[in-house]
Amino acid sequence: MGELSKNSIFFSDQHLCHADILPPSEVRARIEVAILNFLKNLNSSNPEVTDLPLISRKMGNSRVRRGLLTDDSKIFLSHSFSTKSLMNENTANSFIRVWKVMEMCYQILIEEKKVTQRELFYKLLCDSPQYFTSQLQVNRTIQDLVALVRCSRYSLGIMASSRGAVAGRLLLQEPNQEIVDCSTCGSSGYAISGDLNLLENLVMKSDARYIIVVEKHAIFQRLAEDRVFNQIPCILITAKGYPDIGTRLLLHRMSREFPELPILGLVDWNPAGLAILCTFKFGSIAMGLEAYRYACNVKWLGLLKDDIEQLVPEESLIPLKPRDHQIAKSLSSSEILQDKYKEELSFMVQSGQRAEIEALYFHGFDFLAKYIGKKIVQADYI
Amino acid sequence: MEGKHSIPNRLNLLKKIGELTRSLVEDLCNGRSPTLKIDQFSSYCSEDSGKCCCSYNLPKGKEILTLQRESQSRRFDALLRVLLIVQQLLQENKHGSKRDIYYMHPSVFKEQSVVDRAVNDICILLQCSRHNLNVVSVGNGLVMGWVRFAEAGRNFDCISSPNTAHQIPVHVEDVEDIISVAEYILIVEKESDHYAFDDRAVFQRLANDQFCRKNRCIVITGRGYPDVPTRRFLHLLIEKLRLPVYCLVDCDPYGIDILATFRFGSMQMAYDAKSLRLPGIQWLGAFPSDCEKYQLPQHCLLPLTTEDKQKAEGILHRCYVEREAPSWRNELQLMLDRGVKFEIEALSVHSLTFLSENYLPSKIQMGAFI
Repeated sequence: MGELSKNSIFFSDQHLCHADILPPSEVRARIEVAILNFLKNLNSSNPEVTDLPLISRKMGNSRVRRGLLTDDSKIFLSHSFSTKSLMNENTANSFIRVWKVMEMCYQILIEEKKVTQRELFYKLLCDSPQYFTSQLQVNRTIQDLVALVRCSRYSLGIMASSRGAVAGRLLLQEPNQEIVDCSTCGSSGYAISGDLNLLENLVMKSDARYIIVVEKHAIFQRLAEDRVFNQIPCILITAKGYPDIGTRLLLHRMSREFPELPILGLVDWNPAGLAILCTFKFGSIAMGLEAYRYACNVKWLGLLKDDIEQLVPEESLIPLKPRDHQIAKSLSSSEILQDKYKEELSFMVQSGQRAEIEALYFHGFDFLAKYIGKKIVQADYI
Repeated sequence: MEGKHSIPNRLNLLKKIGELTRSLVEDLCNGRSPTLKIDQFSSYCSEDSGKCCCSYNLPKGKEILTLQRESQSRRFDALLRVLLIVQQLLQENKHGSKRDIYYMHPSVFKEQSVVDRAVNDICILLQCSRHNLNVVSVGNGLVMGWVRFAEAGRNFDCISSPNTAHQIPVHVEDVEDIISVAEYILIVEKESDHYAFDDRAVFQRLANDQFCRKNRCIVITGRGYPDVPTRRFLHLLIEKLRLPVYCLVDCDPYGIDILATFRFGSMQMAYDAKSLRLPGIQWLGAFPSDCEKYQLPQHCLLPLTTEDKQKAEGILHRCYVEREAPSWRNELQLMLDRGVKFEIEALSVHSLTFLSENYLPSKIQMGAFI
């Protein structure tokens, strides 16, 4: 039974929790309902301060939903709750923080504005200095609020920052604007907006045959500049590091609009690179309630162990950092990795080394494009 | 002939590389140990009386590399190897980054810094900028507002949608046909060391508030410390449009260092300062004195750390501050005396639109910049 509910696409899905994307009026309504219920309990014949039930964002509560007929896998958070109680000394302060952030977001929603996380930090700092001391704390509390009212961060009025870019054989059009041709955007590509509504409404057309997700900005720039999409008909997309919501949303939309296009990931050969690939592929536990929404079936094109052995000279390998080992540990202990990925990861850790994609330049300037082309043609990805 | 070689285009540079190589070979044939004379540049020193000889376009001295000393011969070797790669890049008209170059001979170079230094040395020897060697760096800048330009056949029309951000092109030398109806250029920068990935937060705020709809200007941001393409792009815009340039940074030593980098150039690119520095740029905010003026809540004022204080002292004593921006000293000193710093977001605590509807327009109108 446990196995079934873990890996099923049937009714047990209803236990899998997610955050809704709602218009401001509905988010306000949810907050108002929460407050009214809280007050009702305070006012009842058995008055009590209701505990806050938050979906637990820990590994133990994460589940993998594997597609039966497709290769899509996603991380969901199940319905295990962690409670924050005012009566409990350990959670009293974080209990109060959740209400404070709720109040602040409510006000912002009434003004029909949006706020950045940093601005929210300063507002909270000035409003309630005894409860808020760091940005990290604010970020966690925001996630708590998401877990409580089950609305996405963006619906709560918090601006999404975006660093991503896209280039290649893709035509984009904002409603009532001119068509943008991403193959003539130069080596910096088209900047992906932080406005999630805008991204949802972009009209997309493409004659590409592949979508290539690139981890690093430098590699994206190199490929865009060399116009690799003219030799290999593809769309290039990057988040320039850890994937942000905007980039993931756009990638997800592309996977829905162009379902025949395989999505291939090009990352450095190290645990951090694999972690980035996995975030695009499955979502993340920290943003568990929103994560699943934008998961896509990304395949690992490179760098892979065989590539390292055949193409990367010994001197180009760099030792793994302590952080890499930490990431490797948490990746291998999660259930989501398939066997081949686990193999690659353990090989990385055993060798104690990592390699950057730039190491392929050992074979000359043109080599990267040839490498990608050859691997695609041979379907050499996992 | 001097005139012909002064334009650092591809053919001239290839010629120069040829001549340099020939002179080294001649030395060897005549039994002389080859040497390379490399000018040394420094954008500033800590002699704050203003009487030093630091200059943005004149070298401070010369370094002579010979093969007689082992450490220098390694540098010599690296330089020649990188030169060979650069020659190939220019001949085939391809581009590469410093990292790419490192990986071509990792066993010889051993460290990235060796390649970085060799590239700098070559720029000095050939009297050109890094991009002339076809060595590129990543560009992170964004531009929005009332400007239109073309790059390699593509039109960037920021005017049709003034609140949409466009990436600043990496190959600034291909930018042309710049047309603008802006009244000024505004640079907003933050260095992000927080857990919010918000190094573009202020730019986002301005876009969200539709700042460019009500204010005829061009807004530019990099990602903290400005990268070379962003600085070159700004330099070009200023050259063509001759508009006033205002800079908005956090009121902390890193913000002011970013401002100083824009205005005076950085140490690493000191040899190329004359094509990167923006002498007309003015500090719009945020000033330590803005605290009282705009009644910032006490809680937004964070204490200066030890590193902050050291950095602020360092900037205060840079020779160019005394020489060219003495009005900055007062504000810097005020920051050190009070021992506090604050970020641009602190200005939005009472009203999210305060920055775009109040602070920026009124400061610009009142001329409250230094």
